[in-house]
Amino acid sequence: MAMELMLILAMNGLVFGLIVALIALGLSIIFGLLDIINVAHGDFFMVGTVLAWVIVTATGNYWLAFLIVPLLGLLLGAVIERGIFRPIEESAALSIVAAFGLSLILQEGVRATFGATPKRILDPIGLTVPFLNLQYEVYRLFAAGIAILAIVGFFLFLHRTKFGTWMRAVRQDRDMAIAMGVPANRVFVVTFALGTALAMLGGVVAAPITSVEFRLGLDVLPLCFIAVIVGGLGNLPGTAAAAVLLAVMEGIITSFAAPTTARIVSLLLMSVVLLLRPQGIFARTAR
Amino acid sequence: MSVTVAKDTGALMSGTSGGLMLAVSLVVLPWLVPNYQRVFAAEILIWGLFALSFAIVYGVGGMLSFAQAVFFGMGCWGFNFATYYLQLNTWGAIAAAIVAAVLMAIPTGFLATRARQHHFLIVTVIISVLVHTVLASGHYRWIAGPYITRAMTFVPEVPLGFTSFSFSSELVGYYFTLACVAGAMIFAWLIVNSPFGRALRAVRDNEERAELIGLNVNRLRFLMFVAATPFAGLAGALYALVERYTDLEFFHWTYSGKAVVLAVIGGVHSLIGPFFGTAFYMIAAEYLSQYFEQFAVIFGVLLLIVVRYAPEGLWGLIVRQTVGSRRK
Repeated sequence: MAMELMLILAMNGLVFGLIVALIALGLSIIFGLLDIINVAHGDFFMVGTVLAWVIVTATGNYWLAFLIVPLLGLLLGAVIERGIFRPIEESAALSIVAAFGLSLILQEGVRATFGATPKRILDPIGLTVPFLNLQYEVYRLFAAGIAILAIVGFFLFLHRTKFGTWMRAVRQDRDMAIAMGVPANRVFVVTFALGTALAMLGGVVAAPITSVEFRLGLDVLPLCFIAVIVGGLGNLPGTAAAAVLLAVMEGIITSFAAPTTARIVSLLLMSVVLLLRPQGIFARTAR
Repeated sequence: MSVTVAKDTGALMSGTSGGLMLAVSLVVLPWLVPNYQRVFAAEILIWGLFALSFAIVYGVGGMLSFAQAVFFGMGCWGFNFATYYLQLNTWGAIAAAIVAAVLMAIPTGFLATRARQHHFLIVTVIISVLVHTVLASGHYRWIAGPYITRAMTFVPEVPLGFTSFSFSSELVGYYFTLACVAGAMIFAWLIVNSPFGRALRAVRDNEERAELIGLNVNRLRFLMFVAATPFAGLAGALYALVERYTDLEFFHWTYSGKAVVLAVIGGVHSLIGPFFGTAFYMIAAEYLSQYFEQFAVIFGVLLLIVVRYAPEGLWGLIVRQTVGSRRK
C-alpha cells in the first residue's frame, strides 16, 4: 500500500510539475529575451484559474475556457509589454519593481472583483481509471496531456517557425539580430504575450485540481523560481525538466513525510545547486 | 542593472534647513495629535526604517532584495527570545534583535551575492520562502521555539539611568521610536557616505569598471547586504515594543514587497525618501481604506507611474523641484 501511495503521489507530482513547467517556461523565455524577472508571472497563472472559473460559472462549459483564456492571455501580455515594460526597458531593476506593481494590481483587483474566498471547479470529466488497486482521476491524465502538448508545441514554435528562429536569434545576440533585420520590437511583444498565455493556459489546466483564489500566484511563483534556478536561468529544456523532476521528487517525499518537508528538501536542493553549479544542473545541454 | 538617476545621496541630505525643520516638527508632532495617532506616527517611523533597509541595499548597492522581511522577522524573533528566554531588558532585547538579523543575513548574503545579478532577486525570494516554510510548518518548533507569533504579556519598560520609562504611555513609545530611528539614520548616513558606500555606488553604476579599478565587487556587495540588515532588525524590535505583538507573517516575502513599494514610491536615493514614501502610503491607506477595501490596487498603479515618470521617487521629485526653483 505504501508503494501504491508513493506512486499515486509521484503521479500527482508529475501532473503538477508539468503545469509548473508550462508556467516556468513562460517566465524563462520572458527573462531570456526581455531581461525582466517577472514577479507577476504567478499572478498570470492565478488570473488564468479565475477566468476559467468565471467562464465555467457563466456558460457551464469548461472546455470553452481552453479556447478563450489563452487568447485573452496573448492580448493581456501584449498590452502589458507595450504599456508597462517597453517604456522602461533600459533598466532591469525598475522593470522588476514595475512587475511587482502589476502583481499588486492583479491580486488586489481579483480580490476586489472576484472575492477573497477560495472557490473550486468541479472535475470536468468526472471519471476515474483503475491504477494499481486505486482509482485515478482521468482529468489529471488529461491535464498532463494538455501540458505536454503545450510544451511540445512551444518548442516546435521556437525551432520550426520563422518567428521562433527570430526569438532564438534575439535571445542569443540582440544587436546582431536587429542588424540582420529581425523586427526585435515585434519579437518582444510576441514573447511576452506567449509567456503570459502559457501561464494563463496553465491556470486553466490547473483550475479543477486546485482551489481558485487571488493568492494562488504567491505559491506558484517560488516553484517556478526553483525550477528556473535548478534548470539554469535561460535554459528552457532544463527549466521544464527541473520543474517536473522537482515535483515528482516532492510527491515521493510526501508519501512518507509532511508536505512541508518535501518543499524544504527541494529548497535545500536548490541552495546546493546554487553553491555547486550556479549555472544550473543541465548547463551542458544549454543553448 | 544600474539605476537611471544616480544622484548622490549626500546632495539630497545637504538641505540642512529643511532637515532641521523636519526634525523639529517630528519632535513637536505628538503634542498636536491625539493618543492613537501617536502610535500611528510611531508605526510610520518603524515601517519607514524597514523601507530604509531595502533602500540601502537597492539604492546604494543596486541589489533588489526580497529578503528584508526575513530580517524584520528575525528582529521580532530576537526581541522575543531575549525578553522571554534570556530575561533581558529592552536595551538587551534590541541588541539581540539586531544580532539575530545580522546572523541571518550572513548566510543569506553569502548565497545571494554569489549569484549573478539576475539570480539575486530569485535567491532572496526563495530563501524567504524557505525560512517562512520552515517556521510555518509547525514541525520544526525546536528551531525557532515559541518566539515567532506572540502577543506580549507585559508592558515593556526602558531603563535609563536612575529612572525607567514605561511603554504604557504612547508618548514614550513615540519618542523612543523617534530616538532609535534618528540614531539609525546617523548610522545609515555614515555607511552611505563612507568610502565603502562610495565604492558600492561605483559598483552599482558600472560593475565592470569598478572591478577594473580593483574593487572586490562580490565582497563589497556582501558587506553592504549585511550592513543594511540591522535597520530591518531594529524595525522588527521597535514594532514588537510599540505594538506588543509579533507575527509569523512578517517573514513572508510579500512583506519584503511592501518595503519595495514604500521605498520606491518615496525614492531610494536618499535617506528621507523611504520615510516619506511610508508616510505617504500609510496616511493614504488610512483614508482610502474607509472607502475602498482593496486600496492596494491604487498603490500598484502608483508604483507603475512612479517607475515610469519619476524613478527617483516622490521625495526625489520634490527635492528636484525645490532645488530647481531655487536655482532660477
